[in-house]
Amino acid sequence: MLITKKKLFKPLQKKRKEKVKSVNVHSKWKIIRILLTASYLMLGWIFFTVNLAPFSLFLGLTLSFAVAFFTYDLFIEKEEAARRSLLPRIYLLILYPLVLLTKVYLASFKMIIPVISGQSNPRVVHFRTRLKSELARVVLANSITLTPGTLTLDLDNDHLIVHWLDAKTIHSHYAARLIKGHFESWLKRIWM
Amino acid sequence: MSVFVIASFCFLVTSLLSLIRIIIGPTAQDRLVGLNLIVPQVVAIMVLMAINFNRTIYLDVALVYAILGFISIIAITKYLKGKKLHE
Amino acid sequence: MIFIFYIFLFLSIFFAFFGNIGMLRFPDVYTRLQASSKCATTSLLSLFIGLMIFKGFSSISVRILVIGIFFLLTSPVASHAIGRSAYEGGILPWRRVRKKEDISEDR
Repeated sequence: MLITKKKLFKPLQKKRKEKVKSVNVHSKWKIIRILLTASYLMLGWIFFTVNLAPFSLFLGLTLSFAVAFFTYDLFIEKEEAARRSLLPRIYLLILYPLVLLTKVYLASFKMIIPVISGQSNPRVVHFRTRLKSELARVVLANSITLTPGTLTLDLDNDHLIVHWLDAKTIHSHYAARLIKGHFESWLKRIWM
Repeated sequence: MSVFVIASFCFLVTSLLSLIRIIIGPTAQDRLVGLNLIVPQVVAIMVLMAINFNRTIYLDVALVYAILGFISIIAITKYLKGKKLHE
Repeated sequence: MIFIFYIFLFLSIFFAFFGNIGMLRFPDVYTRLQASSKCATTSLLSLFIGLMIFKGFSSISVRILVIGIFFLLTSPVASHAIGRSAYEGGILPWRRVRKKEDISEDR
C-alpha cells in the first residue's frame, strides 16, 4: 500500500513544481510581450517622424513604453505557445505584399465589366482553411477581402463565410480552391 | 492650375456621387457603405493638397482623418449589432 | 518619370469613378460593398504609388508609405465589419432570378 501511495503522489509533486516554474515563465513572457509591442510602436514612430533628433527619439521611447504597458494584452496572445506565430520568414513576408498587389490590380480590372453591364451572379459560399496559427487566418481573410469580387462575411475558428460576386460553383471544395488560390500555400510557408 | 488641383477636383466630383448613396440608401448599412467610400477620397484630396503646397503637416492631418474614419465605422457597426433597422 | 506618374493618377481617378458608379448601380448591400470598397482601395494605392514615384526618396514619400500601409491593413477590416453587421442584421443577399417578373418584384 505504501509503495503504491508513493507512486501515486510522485506525479502530483512533480506537477506542483512545474506550476511554480510556469509562474516565472509567465512573468518572463509578459516582459517580452511589453518589449515587443514597444519596439513595434517605436518603429512606427521613427517611420512617421523622419527626424532622428535625440529629443524626438526620447519622446517616442517613453510614449511607446507607456502605450505598450496598457495594450500588450491585445496584440500578443497570453500563451507562450503562440510565439511561433511571431517569427515569420521575413524574406517571404516582404515578397507577399507584391504578390497581393498584382492580384488586386488584375482583379480590379475584371471588376469593371460587371459594373458597366450591371450583370452579376452573387452567392454566399462556406469553406474551411488548413492554416493553424490565428494571425495567418486573419491575414488570409483580409487578403480575400482585399481582392475585388470576394468579401469575407465571417471568420469563426477555421470556418469562413465568403460573399462571391461572380460565383461559378456553390460546392465548398472547388469554391475554396478558386477563391483561396495561392494565398494559403504562401501563408503556410510564412507562418509555418 | 497645376495637375494636383485638377485631380483633387475630380475626386471632389466623385465623392459627391457617393453622397447620393448616403442620402437615398434604404438601410443603415447602405449609408455606411457610402461613408466608407467618402473617407479614402477625402484622404486622397488631403495628400494631393499636401504635395501641391509642399507642407508635410497636411499628411499628419490625413493620417488622423483616416484613423478617425476607421474607428467611427467600427463604432457604428458595434452600435448596430443586434438591431434590425429596415427602412 | 512624370509620364508614369500621370498614368497612375489617371488610373486612380478612373477606379474611383467606377467604384462610385458601381455603388450606385448594384442591387443590394453586399454587392455595393464589393464595388465600392475595393475600387476605392485600388484608386488610393495607385495614387500613393504614383506620388512616391514622383517625389523619389524623401520625408514626404516615407509618410505616404505609412498612410498606404495603414489603409492596406484597415480598409478590409472596415468593409468586413459592415458586411458582418448586415449579415447578422438579417439582410438577405440578392440573387439573380431568371424570370422577368421575379426580377421586377425583387427590385
